[in-house]
Amino acid sequence: MGNTVLEIKNYTKSYGGGKIAADNVSLTVEAGDIFGFIGHNGAGKSTTIRAVVGVLDFTEGEIFIDGHSVKTEPIECKKVTAYIPDNPDLYENLTGIQYLNFVADVFGIGAKDREDLIKKYADAFEITDSLGDLISSYSHGMKQKVAIIGALIHSPKLLVLDEPFVGLDPKAAFKLKEIMHEMCENGTAIFFSTHVLDVAEKLCNKVAIIKQGRIIDVGTMEELTEGHSLEEVFLEADNEEK
Amino acid sequence: MKKNNILLKTLLMSTSSFNIFRYTTDKKKKGKIVGAFFGLLILYAMLMFYFIAACVGYGKIGLIDSAPVLCALSISAMAFIFTFFKTNGYLFNFKEYDMLMALPFEAKTVASCKFLYMYIKSLGWYMSISLSMMIGYGIYAKPGIITYILWIVLSLFLPIIPMLAASFLGFIIARISAGFRRTNIVQTILSVALVLFAFSIRFIMEDLFRNNKVEEVLTDMSGVTDNMAGYYLPAKWFANAITGSGISDALLLVGSSVILFTVVFMIVGRSYRNINSSLKNHAASKNYSMTAQKTKSVLNSIAFKELKRMTGSTAYMVNGGMGQILCTIAGILVLIVGFDNAVTMITQNAPFDHAIIRPAIPFIIYFFIGMVATTACSPSLEGKNYWIVKSLPISTETLYKGKMLFNMYITVPFMTFGILCLCISARVPVLETILYIILGFALCAFSTAWGCVCGVKHLKLDWENEIEVIKQSAAVAIYMFPNMIVTMGLIVLVVVLGMHMSHNLIAVILIAIASALAALSYLRVMALAKKNK
Repeated sequence: MGNTVLEIKNYTKSYGGGKIAADNVSLTVEAGDIFGFIGHNGAGKSTTIRAVVGVLDFTEGEIFIDGHSVKTEPIECKKVTAYIPDNPDLYENLTGIQYLNFVADVFGIGAKDREDLIKKYADAFEITDSLGDLISSYSHGMKQKVAIIGALIHSPKLLVLDEPFVGLDPKAAFKLKEIMHEMCENGTAIFFSTHVLDVAEKLCNKVAIIKQGRIIDVGTMEELTEGHSLEEVFLEADNEEK
Repeated sequence: MKKNNILLKTLLMSTSSFNIFRYTTDKKKKGKIVGAFFGLLILYAMLMFYFIAACVGYGKIGLIDSAPVLCALSISAMAFIFTFFKTNGYLFNFKEYDMLMALPFEAKTVASCKFLYMYIKSLGWYMSISLSMMIGYGIYAKPGIITYILWIVLSLFLPIIPMLAASFLGFIIARISAGFRRTNIVQTILSVALVLFAFSIRFIMEDLFRNNKVEEVLTDMSGVTDNMAGYYLPAKWFANAITGSGISDALLLVGSSVILFTVVFMIVGRSYRNINSSLKNHAASKNYSMTAQKTKSVLNSIAFKELKRMTGSTAYMVNGGMGQILCTIAGILVLIVGFDNAVTMITQNAPFDHAIIRPAIPFIIYFFIGMVATTACSPSLEGKNYWIVKSLPISTETLYKGKMLFNMYITVPFMTFGILCLCISARVPVLETILYIILGFALCAFSTAWGCVCGVKHLKLDWENEIEVIKQSAAVAIYMFPNMIVTMGLIVLVVVLGMHMSHNLIAVILIAIASALAALSYLRVMALAKKNK
């Protein structure tokens, strides 16, 4: 512990017309953390996540990944980050294996390594048989699985997931949780958003609650819950802010 | 460089019909791909035939030396226009932006690969023109082998500079629009303004070269092309390299293309994330309070949905609304300058009675309005949202009727306005004007229904980028090309008929023909809807 992988410092994102989507957000995710980011729909979770992974430009503040600034050294940051969006837009006219090879090529993964890793994760998600089919023929869950495998095959230091369990079947969701645990034991930092408080409570060691773009509570699971359920804490924090 | 290759290869593969053909198990899909491939070959052959014939024409009147300049100018103009319309959607605001930008690619790598993707995808068209003109030039000029090699190699570079210019203009427009809250609207207005400016430049240049002297133009065509090449240096470099085998001119063309490519994407790369952030993300205002709601009929509701789909996309608005804007401007201009003066300007003082053009008024306006029918692309534009309309308790017939209604809403008022402007200016009698307006309505109905036939028959829901549907789909090509050719033919036909028959009678006959064609197309749409249930 103590090895900071993700540091968000006073991150603010405003749109035209002065609307603020994220307001002075600050948090730290360390190696081995599974950090849950919870909040209502439209609270600013995805906006923050998209800024972290370098997709969204932001107005103020700084975001560092493994010591590199997302603003000034985006490539260094992306080399150690993997991102799984809530609704992955994959290339529909590629086959699953063609897409995974594309990602592996970008990250410069050798032929043997990629073969082993793709096989390992594809077997785990029971999708190996379908890798030769066009992505356009996949169900939402299968696309999600391919996106997850694409994120895992380059062994990232930071794994960022936006609502990762939406669309996954129970077995795949269980497998993903298992993989997340395994990765965090190996020192990967995981930062993910979810609406499902039960999942966050069981999976995370740290949590931040965001409301209307502002962090209203952040800390370890023990600090936040103090014997209560995360649901109770979330609702209480939400009511206090009203 | 390695990452550029990986990304470019993947971009090409992700939209390649060959990849789908190879891996799909759907035999119907395979059949469609083969059909589209042969359709494309026919279009290429038609284009090549046209340009070879044009070159033979130049050869016969002793103007073959102008062929290289004409080739360069034709390719450059096409490359500029097609790229400009595609920039938003391909270079910016594309679907998989999040996925690509989250990978370790530099912004300029993504932007330049997207550009190269556009270049490779359209290269077939430019090379068809180039090779056919090279054949024509070869027949008459009988150059040495080095000329053929230079021609082919330099043709590969010819589209780059105009494409870069169009992309850079698209970038500037996107950059300016990014500063506004209503990014899409500002972007559309600026794009339309630029297209109108380009059109006016064309007329200014034509006037500059022609100086209203038709005979001189015909006898000094090579002078005209040389003049134009003087303004556009890459065309001059190409022509000089071909006619004089000038290696220095060839190097200038290649060198400036490469340098401009590097510079443009260095600049674009700097603002790339900022522009895309603005184009793809919109703040929620969260200030709505419940007010009294109005009900709409099912058809109007679908039409309204179509309107929102259109106004939500700059590419769709610019492509789908350009004809209406041009028609409105043309109508107002003719009212201001007068019908006779407008005809005089367009026909360069050709001596004939302008009244003979009157029966062509509805077709002149239709040439603008009918250029694009939203119904040719709107069925495919449903894309991944197709489930919404399919899961609603409405029949496919109703869905298509709603889409057709929307196209009628956005064509009939402009058609009527354009015809009225021209008729008032040309002092067309009232009864004849009414007949022309009815004919205009029938033409709109035909365009709408025929567009829908093409759109439904060539439905493509699994697109990667909406530009593929709006500009490059089989449905749009099949709708547009025959429609344009038939319209031009009809303009000539009615003018000729008008010299021998009553204008009212011609209008009545054409109303009957257009209505019959519209009805047949409509019935075909309904039959296809039943089939697609």
